[in-house]
Amino acid sequence: MRRPSPWLVALLIAAVVGVVFAAVSTYDFVQHLDRQVHALHCSFLPGLAGTHGGESGCQVAMMSPYSSVFRTHVWGGVPISLAAMSVFAFLAFYALDLIVTRRKDDPRATGFLALATALPAATSAVMLTVSLAKLGTTCKLCVCIYVASAVCLIAGIAVWRRAVRGPARGSHDRDDPAFVGRAKSSPSSSPSAPTSGARLVAVNESPGASTGLLAAMFGIGVGFVALPVALYLALAPDHARFIGTCEALPHPADTYGVMFHVGLAAPGGAPAIEVLDPLCPACRAFEQRLAASGLADRLDRKAVVFPLDSTCNWMVTEVTHPGACTVSEAVLCAGDKAPEVVAWAFEEQDRIRAETKADPGAAARIVKQRFPALAACIGSPDARSRLNKSMRWVVANNIRVSTPQLYVDKVKLCDEDVDLGLEYTLSSMLDRRARGTLAAVPLEGDPAAKPSAGGKEPAARPGAAPGATPGATP
Amino acid sequence: MMIVRAALLVALLAIPAGLTGAWIKSADARLAVATAAPGELAPVASASDVGYCNPELKRVLRRVLLSCGLGGGDAARGCQPVQAKNVATMSGHDFNALFTPMKDRGGIIQFDKDKADLDPVDLGLVDRVFADQRGASWFFVVARASPEGSIEHNRELSKARAEAVMAHLKTQFKDPDLDKEVGMLWLGKEYAQLETEFCAWQRSSSGTCNTEQLNRSAFVAWIDCQL
Repeated sequence: MRRPSPWLVALLIAAVVGVVFAAVSTYDFVQHLDRQVHALHCSFLPGLAGTHGGESGCQVAMMSPYSSVFRTHVWGGVPISLAAMSVFAFLAFYALDLIVTRRKDDPRATGFLALATALPAATSAVMLTVSLAKLGTTCKLCVCIYVASAVCLIAGIAVWRRAVRGPARGSHDRDDPAFVGRAKSSPSSSPSAPTSGARLVAVNESPGASTGLLAAMFGIGVGFVALPVALYLALAPDHARFIGTCEALPHPADTYGVMFHVGLAAPGGAPAIEVLDPLCPACRAFEQRLAASGLADRLDRKAVVFPLDSTCNWMVTEVTHPGACTVSEAVLCAGDKAPEVVAWAFEEQDRIRAETKADPGAAARIVKQRFPALAACIGSPDARSRLNKSMRWVVANNIRVSTPQLYVDKVKLCDEDVDLGLEYTLSSMLDRRARGTLAAVPLEGDPAAKPSAGGKEPAARPGAAPGATPGATP
Repeated sequence: MMIVRAALLVALLAIPAGLTGAWIKSADARLAVATAAPGELAPVASASDVGYCNPELKRVLRRVLLSCGLGGGDAARGCQPVQAKNVATMSGHDFNALFTPMKDRGGIIQFDKDKADLDPVDLGLVDRVFADQRGASWFFVVARASPEGSIEHNRELSKARAEAVMAHLKTQFKDPDLDKEVGMLWLGKEYAQLETEFCAWQRSSSGTCNTEQLNRSAFVAWIDCQL
C-alpha cells in the first residue's frame, strides 16, 4: 500500500488531537459529578493543569450553561465535549476506513467525509461566538478543539476536491489494486475474457461508495455520539437524593424589614430568599447562571445582604471583599432601587474591591458618585443599624458564613448545586414545590452526612472549610 | 478487511464510551465516599462571644438580664438599685469593673443637673453607640444620679434618664428586638457610682470630668457575650 494522501493524514491527526482535547475537557467535566471542587486541565498541552485556577476561561466555560445540554434532566447536563470527542473519534474511524478500503479518491465517500467534518467545524464556530459574545473569554482546551475542527474541515474539503478532480496523470501515489482475486468462469464471459483460474488484476480503486454504505456510515456516526451519551445518562449519579438535605430556614420572616426584591417578581413564583454579598464574584456568577438558566422567572426572589467584610461583619476575620459593608449599606439605603444598586455593584465589583483595598474610603466615594441620592444615608447610624439587622437575620436563621445561598420556600439549594447542577436541582426543587413535596429532609442513610461545600465563596474564618475555594467563581 | 474495519470501529467507539463510563464510575465512587464522610463546612453565623466574656461575667450578666426584664418571662423591665445590688451580689466597684472591657463599645450620656432630657449631642452619641451593634446580643442602659438630693428623688431621676434613652431608641431605630436586647438599670446614687477612670470613655460632654458630672448619666454599651 502506498502512502495515503497527506490531507487525509492531516485530517486523521487533527481528529486524534480533537479526541484528546475533547477527552480532557470531558474528564474535567465528569469529575465534578462527585459534587466536589476540582482543578481543571486548562492548557494548550493536554493534561497539564492551568495556571489560573478558578479564574481561567476553562472554569468560566465549564460552569456556563453552554457547556452541556439536557441540564434540567441530568445533574450538570451532558457535556458538549463528550459529543465532540465522539465526533472526532468517528472522523478518525472514517478516515482510517477510507485508507483501509482505498476509497480516498472516491468523490462520494470523501464528500461524506467533508460533510462530516462540517459538523464539528460549525459547532466550533457557534461555540467560539458564544464564548466571546456571552462569556467574554475563551478556554484553552476549547481553542484546541476549535483548531482541530478547522483543520479537519480544511483537510476534509481538500481530500474531497482531490477526489473530484481525479488522480493526477502520472501520479505515483495511487494505491495498489483494491481487490485481487480469481474470476469465476462464466458462460457469458466474452471470448477475450480470462479463462477460469486466471488472475484478475483489473481494479485500481474500490467501486464508488453506494448510498447504502454512506447511510450505514451516517448511522455509525450517529451511534458514535448516541452510545456514549446514552451511557452517560444511564451511569450518571443520582443527585436528586441531595435535594432538601442542606438545611432550611427556621425563621424566614423579614421581621427587620431588610429584604429587597431581586429580579422580576414572578407572579405565582416560588418564594425564594437569596443571601448575597454585592461585591462577591461568586454571587455575580450565580446571578448570571440563574439568569441564563431561565429559572429566575419561576422565582419570587428576595435578597438579604451579608457582606464578607470584617469592617462590619463580626463573623469573619478578614476583609474578604473590601468595600462590601459600604456597598451593602447603599443597597439597604436604596429602598425600591436596591436591585439597581446590586446590579451596578456586580458590574463594578472588581474596581470597587481593588480601589478600596488601597484606600478604605474608596467604596463610599465610588458609590456616592454613582448614586448621589444615597450619600446622606450611607454611613449613617440608621444604615449601619439596618445592615446589622441583615446580619442578625442571618444569625437567627443559622445560616452558614458564605455567599451566595439560595433558599426556595425555606429549603436550601445545596452549595454543591449552585453551579453545574443549578438547572437540574433548582428545576427539581420547583417541580417538587409545585407538587407540594419540597421539604428539608435528612440525607438518605445518614442524617449528618453530606458532601463538603464547593462552588461558592466561603468567608475567611478560622475553622472554615480550608479547601472550599470559589469553584464557581469565574 | 471487514475484520479490520470492525476492529477499527470497536476500538474508536470504545474511546468515548469506555472513558466516559470509567470516569463516571470513578466520580460515583468518590461521591459515595464524600457522602459517607462529609468534609468541613463553613461555620454557622452566630452572635459575638468575645474574649472578655468569661464565666464569671456571664453568670452576673445572666442574673442581671433575667432580673431586669430580659431573657424572657414577664418580669418588669428595669432594675432598681436594691435589685441590681442583689442580683449582682458584688460591690459597686466590682460591678463597674465588669464593664471596663467594653470601653470601645460604649459611651456615657451626660445629663444636666436634675434633668433627664437628651440634647442633640446626647442623641448623637446614643445613635452612634447603638448603631454599632455588630454581633452583640445585649445593650445595657445603666442610669445614675449624682449624690445631691434624696435617695427617692435620685431613684426617680435615674429611672427617667434610662427611660429617656430607651424611648429614643424605640423612636429612632424601630428595632423589633429592642425589648429583648436592651437591659435597663437605674441605680440612683446608691450603688455602683462611676469613678473618674470612666472619664476616659467617650462622653456626650466635653467639659471637665468629675464624679458628680460623671454620675448624672446613662451609661450605654453593647455586650458581645452569648449567654
